[in-house]
Parts: sequence; structure tokens; C-alpha cells
Amino acid sequence: MAVDLAMPVLVVDDYKTMIRIITNLLKQLGFENIDDAADGKEALAKMQENSYGLVISDWNMEPMTGYELLREVRADDKLKTTPFIMVTAESKTENVIAAKKAGVNNYIVKPFNAATLKGKITAVLGDF
Amino acid sequence: MANQEVANKVRGAIDSLKSSNVRERPLVEVLELSHQLADAMKFFFGSLDQTIQGEFRYIADFISKARDEIAELCPNEIREERIPGASVELDAVVKDTEQATETIMTEAETLLCADHSDADAYKAQVDDAMMRIIEACSFQDLTGQRVNKVVSTLRHIEERVEQFSKALGVKDADRQESAEEKRQREQLLNGPAVGGPETKQDDIDALFAEAGDDVSQDDIDSLFS
Repeated sequence: MAVDLAMPVLVVDDYKTMIRIITNLLKQLGFENIDDAADGKEALAKMQENSYGLVISDWNMEPMTGYELLREVRADDKLKTTPFIMVTAESKTENVIAAKKAGVNNYIVKPFNAATLKGKITAVLGDF
Repeated sequence: MANQEVANKVRGAIDSLKSSNVRERPLVEVLELSHQLADAMKFFFGSLDQTIQGEFRYIADFISKARDEIAELCPNEIREERIPGASVELDAVVKDTEQATETIMTEAETLLCADHSDADAYKAQVDDAMMRIIEACSFQDLTGQRVNKVVSTLRHIEERVEQFSKALGVKDADRQESAEEKRQREQLLNGPAVGGPETKQDDIDALFAEAGDDVSQDDIDSLFS
């Protein structure tokens, strides 16, 4: 099934530059409806208000980390099926395994390029 | 006179007083015994004072040495100049990199949205933007110098602390994990690895592929080839 490029995507990162980079890459890939949040708590509040077709989140943020956000999302009946990609500098195997166990759909280690982002979105949502 | 000798002399004098019938002894003998006891006690307390004085002298010397070592650390200079200086440099690094990123991102975003119907005008716009991007990259030289100053400060502090620690024979005490450290451990907040990711993207991809949850187009294609 083709990916709906009009679906809302939530980008979560405490660095505005990284939000800007991912937003630009997503726009280049054709996504039109991109929202952002500065940490897990803000993201969770936005997810409870709006429906997102994809969440792309950093790990290391306060007061709520991306890992905590992922666990909150997977524990919430309304949100638990939301596709979730972690984009992070946390590259220890224990991080990747913990995220996988918590139900992340894919994992991108920073720094990354447009092709990697597109590849992982494709792996999660299908071709577009 | 050794402590044991003094103690024996005192004990002897007391025994002598106890065993003698004071009423029957001439007063001179009693007085003599009392004198012996007083002399023995005087020596005992004198020697006791000297031991304590020695201890206090040792402690005073140690404190004096420690004070000299602390003075050599130049703690006031570290607190008032070096650490604030390093902090200012790091703030400047963050600001410089932010500014450069802002410039480069803005130029790139402007070009992405630029009208390219007029090829000559578009080329001129691209050339101008590229020059501004190249200029913005000069931040790397400045931030490199600033970071070197911070590294030099850290090295200075490290050397002084090591010297102090060696001079006083300090050993690391058992330390309680702080609340922040506990959260970082529990949340697996390790930060970026030095020298590139610890687990490469290919290995992460393999982990997700093994789990069978994610099937890429390549995997599907491989089934039909």
C-alpha cells in the first residue's frame, strides 16, 4: 500500500537544528504535514491531542526521554500501533535491544543521511 | 624514664604507704613517701604531655603541609579564572556552531525553494549561497581553538588534583550514585560514542531484519530473484 504523504508526522528532538534537518529531509521525501516536539512529554501530549501516522524521535531528552515516550506510546491502547522510529546518537547494543524490546519499529543511529531515513521509513510504512 | 618504670615506681610507693602503719611511722618517712609519689606522678604527667604534644605537632605539620599543597593547587585561580574562562569558551563554541548551522541551513533551504526558471540568475544565486556556506564553515577553526583552551584547562586541573592526591596519599572513597547518574543509567543515556557509533547502522539493520518484523523491498526482491 502506498504511503499517504499527507499524513501527519511528529518529529521529536530537543535540538532545533535536528528537527530542522529531519523536517527538511521529510519534505524532500514528499511529506507535507510535519509537526514537532522538544521532548517526550510534549510529544505525548501532542499525540493524545492529534493522530500521527509516524513518530520519529530522539532518545536523549528531558524531562521525558524518547525511550520513555516509546514505552508510554506502546502502553496506550489508542496510540500503541503508531509507527515509531528512533533516531539517536545512542549506539550501544543495549540501547538498540532495549528499544526493540519496547516495540520500536526501526532504529537510526546519528549521524545519518537522507537515504538511510528513506530506507527506514520504507521498511516501516512501505514504499513511497 | 619509661612509662612502665614510672608506673612501677608509683605502684611501689602506693604499696609501701598501704603496707605501713602510718600512725606508727615517723612523719618524715611519710613525707618522703609522698615526695616520691609526687615526683613519680610529675614525671608521668610530663611524659604524657610530651606524647600528646607530639601528636598535636604531627597533626599541625600535616595540616600545614595540606594547606601548602592546597595553595599550590591555586584553587582560587581555578574557581575564579580557569573554570569561568572554560565555561565562556564552551558557551562560545555552542553559539558559534549554532550560528554557522543557522547560516548553512538557511542558505540550503533558500536554494531548495529557489526559482530556477532563469538558469543564469539561478546559477548566480547558487554561487552566492555557496560562498556564504564556505564562509560560515570558518567556525571550525575558531571552535577548534576554543576547545583546545578548554582541554588545556582540564589538563591543568587534572595535573594539580593528581599532585595533591599523591602528596596527601588520598584514596578514592566509596561514592553514592547521584539521582542524575541513576536516571542516566536506567534510561541508558550513554551519549554519542567517540570515534563513530559503537553499533554500526548495518548491524542494527541486521538485528531488526533477524527479528522478522521489518521486511525491506530488498528482502522481498530477494524472494523473487
